[in-house]
Amino acid sequence: MHGSIHSLYRYPVKGLTPEPLDRVALEAGRAFPFDRLFALAKPQGAYNADTFVPVSKREYYVLLNTDRLAGLAVGFDPETGLIRVTVQGHPVLEADLSTEAGRAEFVELYARVADLPDGERPVLAEQPGYNFTDQANNGSRMMNTISLINRASIREFEARIGRELDPLRFRANVYIEGLEPWVERDWIGRELQLGGSGGVTVRVVEETERCAATEVDPSTARRDVPVVRLLHENYGHEIMGVFAEVLSVGTLAPGDSVAVPDAATAA
Amino acid sequence: MTASTTTADLTVVVAARRMLTADVCEFELRRRDGGLLEPAEPGAHITVHTPSGEARSYSLTSDVSDLGRYVIAVRRDEGGRGGSRSMIDEVNEGDSLTISSPRNAFELMDAPAYLLVAAGIGITPIRAMLLELRRRGAADVQLVYLSRSRAETPYLDELVEMTLNRPITLHHRSLHGALDWWPLLESPGERHLYVCGPESLQNELRALTMHWRPSRVHMEDFAGISAFGGISLPFVLEWQPSGVSIAVSETQTMLGALERAGIDADSSCGSGTCGTCRLRLIDGEADHRDVVLSESERRDFVMPCVSRALNKGLVVAPL
Repeated sequence: MHGSIHSLYRYPVKGLTPEPLDRVALEAGRAFPFDRLFALAKPQGAYNADTFVPVSKREYYVLLNTDRLAGLAVGFDPETGLIRVTVQGHPVLEADLSTEAGRAEFVELYARVADLPDGERPVLAEQPGYNFTDQANNGSRMMNTISLINRASIREFEARIGRELDPLRFRANVYIEGLEPWVERDWIGRELQLGGSGGVTVRVVEETERCAATEVDPSTARRDVPVVRLLHENYGHEIMGVFAEVLSVGTLAPGDSVAVPDAATAA
Repeated sequence: MTASTTTADLTVVVAARRMLTADVCEFELRRRDGGLLEPAEPGAHITVHTPSGEARSYSLTSDVSDLGRYVIAVRRDEGGRGGSRSMIDEVNEGDSLTISSPRNAFELMDAPAYLLVAAGIGITPIRAMLLELRRRGAADVQLVYLSRSRAETPYLDELVEMTLNRPITLHHRSLHGALDWWPLLESPGERHLYVCGPESLQNELRALTMHWRPSRVHMEDFAGISAFGGISLPFVLEWQPSGVSIAVSETQTMLGALERAGIDADSSCGSGTCGTCRLRLIDGEADHRDVVLSESERRDFVMPCVSRALNKGLVVAPL
């Protein structure tokens, strides 16, 4: 069975908005480059930069606890360290995250967005060799997976609930088009070829259990549809998407082919 | 804040009525015995039982320090179910009306500076706020008033006089087209924003103020309608181990309020499906909104990520 890559995204700051990618170069055993490179940790929380251990996503400002994060669009340039934040297309901040002053301006803005008391600011978390995906709490192998979504599964879910759902609610790296709904549920332990001969082979390792972050509409920043609840009611599970580990080196771009295991050959 | 928890109905008399524009009529309501009315805060509204049989909520637009009268202004809504039409066509001076106690979902906070935005009939609570701010001597108040045209702008002359020496931006859509909001909203400073207007305007301004502190953006909007369809009201949570009382606002979850109070409750899905955040329910009636607890478990446990109090409060404890 063949599908194609619809779109590719990274999320430079955990919980903040996606950046679409024209192409991405992947390495074996590595996550999307610059994905969840930073996070905004709660002050006086369990995150400690000096004695770092992975902590719960609740220790960070994320959509689960701060729906307005979806209302500020973030663009990060890894080459220059510049982060740009816009509101409805209007610039509200440009800061150099490689400088102390730039980091201070960035957390000052998000102290307002999260409505922290005067003087309190989020901590801009960054750890060498670490990314702040939820999967990072399950060891470095899972931290280095990429996330895939079958757009047809979202459409089938939309039809059942009678609501439109922006696929970006599910905050995946790779969105796949052209497949039957829910075929990804048979992929665990199997290999896919993403992006033809120049692309990469991946092995699907786990399904993605969703949380209340998906309740927030990415365009209105309103918590409006109880997605996890509706998954549970319609399917008896809370799954949308899979995680896969990259087994080879290659490049992906929207429009590239996706070769998936044939259901008929399933064990 | 709620001005009064009672919703007792009261009969008042229409002491005066006047057309403010071709579509908008002002009604002055007084007690028939000439006594004082219940105190109300600026931003408060009353529910009026209109002659059509429909109950309609109208913001108080008068000076709330005058307890002798409530003043409301009603816009004739040709497309509606007839509540406002019946007010304008059928209610005359000397008639009686049944109203509720005032309630306030649009509280005027103390702030160093204010940006007040009203569209059309949305001027009614904003006018009450302007009167109150003038009495308090608030210096930094800016009003933006949108309407279709000058002729369709209730209280225009009076507001221009009242806001003398203060910036007032009048914007008539028929003349000026769409307003460029960004210069007004780009730098929040210490201002509090109050918006009263149609849902489309509220959505637009909410989207344009994502870089503001949410506690400084006030709209009489849909807060309290949760993603789960139920109405969410504020309540008080008692954490039994320490006895501390924690206020859970209509926009917060119990779990969020606990975390804000520095109480760490383990949680995962945040949507009442995984069961991680389960707490013991010691006292109070819970509005269970999860899908994990069985009927028998619901007597003794509660999922704080989605569930709320049915009445005033709950007492909870860790497992």
